[in-house]
Amino acid sequence: MKDVETRPKKGEWIIVSAILLASLPLILGFALLVISSFSKDMVTNLSPESFRLTLENWINVFQGKLAITGGIRQNILKITLNTLIVALGVSGIVTLVSTLAGYSLSRMKFKGRKLMMLLLLMLHAFPGVALIVGVYLLYRLTFPQEPSLVRFYSFFYVILARAALEIPMSVWLMKGFFDTIPWEFEWSGIIDGASRIRVWWQIMLPLIKPGILAVALFGFLAGWQDLIYVRTFLIDQTLATFIEANIEAEYSHMPLIAAAGTLYLLPTIVFFLTAQQLLLQGYSGGIKG
Amino acid sequence: MKGEKLRNLSFFLSPMVIMVGLFYLIPLVFTIYISFTKMRNWNIERYLTEVVGLYNYQRLFHMFQHDPLMRTVLLTTVVFVGITLIINVFGGLLLALGTFFINESSASAIRLLWLLPRMSPIAVYSLVWYYFFHGSEIGTLNSILMKLGVISQPIPWGQIVPWGAWSIIIFVNGLVGVSFGMIVFTSALNQIPKELIIAARVDGASAWQISKRILVPMMKWHFLYVLTWQFLSLLTTYPHLFLLVQWDLISRDYGTTLALYVYNTAFGRGEQDQGLAAAAAVLLSILGIIGGFVTLKVLQFEKMIHEPRGDIE
Repeated sequence: MKDVETRPKKGEWIIVSAILLASLPLILGFALLVISSFSKDMVTNLSPESFRLTLENWINVFQGKLAITGGIRQNILKITLNTLIVALGVSGIVTLVSTLAGYSLSRMKFKGRKLMMLLLLMLHAFPGVALIVGVYLLYRLTFPQEPSLVRFYSFFYVILARAALEIPMSVWLMKGFFDTIPWEFEWSGIIDGASRIRVWWQIMLPLIKPGILAVALFGFLAGWQDLIYVRTFLIDQTLATFIEANIEAEYSHMPLIAAAGTLYLLPTIVFFLTAQQLLLQGYSGGIKG
Repeated sequence: MKGEKLRNLSFFLSPMVIMVGLFYLIPLVFTIYISFTKMRNWNIERYLTEVVGLYNYQRLFHMFQHDPLMRTVLLTTVVFVGITLIINVFGGLLLALGTFFINESSASAIRLLWLLPRMSPIAVYSLVWYYFFHGSEIGTLNSILMKLGVISQPIPWGQIVPWGAWSIIIFVNGLVGVSFGMIVFTSALNQIPKELIIAARVDGASAWQISKRILVPMMKWHFLYVLTWQFLSLLTTYPHLFLLVQWDLISRDYGTTLALYVYNTAFGRGEQDQGLAAAAAVLLSILGIIGGFVTLKVLQFEKMIHEPRGDIE
């Protein structure tokens, strides 16, 4: 709040400490996970003696040694790469589809425009679990016969299906960004005889770079953190399914799983620190959870 | 001119239309169709054409009436949605008001902190709470309470039914949902004219009085919006519960809501029954569609759609 002159200072620390107290489990939980990734044993029980500093977990994670004994290995770099492929794929498709559709919904008059926007909003509210049974049937019905294509196909499908979940909200978000650009900018281009497509590409897209960045970022995070779709459709493992499977596995060395979890958390934290404003603005769009 | 407009429109809109058709409309038809078949264990060759009419729906209603497990699922859904909704809406409101009255840099730090549950990958988020509520002495909560001398033995929180398990799922999902309310209410607060607050301050009103008399009454619309939207989300959300149940942190019976039940029945371990899952999914969708319409009414959707500016023709 900006009315500093009249703001009483004395009450402020009470509010801050009350909120911090409420946030304590949150801070504690995440901090313990990160600390454990640098320790020989998990430090979830708050005993200082269980913390013995080591980089072993991180080295083992990158070498893919899952257990201290028994030589169980898994290529974590490949798993991270898989996660990255899904995230980048989702981000790319969401950005492309929503910059296209957002422009026409913001700028062009046509029959059914209103209905289309209403439908998009409804789709965003639609229960995902009601779709996934049908989405899986489509997946099975279109499954390739050729065995060499199967892995590629599962990546292709999971990216498309996950991106589709993000599309209603990002189209609305993108439309909002286009709405903020004064019409005169394109008007001059159209007068000069440029086509709508050219105007979109050469005049509008450079103007809404922050919007594109926001949508791309949300798409990336959605793909990066997804658990249910990758678990259901993807044949290869991602970090999410890796953690899912290894919590229960007898041989798992838990501080190593903590390191994998911290690795998985890294992009979120990086985006957090670099794009705070963008995230807070973008999230006011309308989200599930 | 007309042909050109059509070409333009299809260039801009066809990717979206294709995606929506492929991943919303066709699957929805498929789901409804499966709910009329005997599909199980994804044995498509055998069951895809075996239409059994309303059999799955009859079975579902029979379970609602007589199966104690299904009754537990329904009860869990009601308790989970009800209490988490209250926490989400009022927690979000409290956080938004709290951060409104403190300096901007602490406020944005707190807002970011509370976005963390929503932003972190579900697997990591669940991992954090897995250790926090773990039923042995490695569990953070248990060790804190034992160090304080409140308890002498570790307590398996998630296995205490019903309230232990319910508390955990409500807590874990509550933290995710709070940020939504927080953001909506914060942006609402920023739109309230500053003069109103400054005037009240000059007259000596406290933060509590300002909130109660000025800020909250001006956010009625946002309040309803968050309430209906979060209701819909909670009714259909399940990924955060999935891992907690999967890892046996919480009791399977009292940690499963209807949405998670649908997913586990269709894709879970052991005997899968997609016909039954699809029937339950159809019921959830009907609830979702009704909820969606209510949200739109609350949102006054008509007012949100402006005519597009400056289209030639």
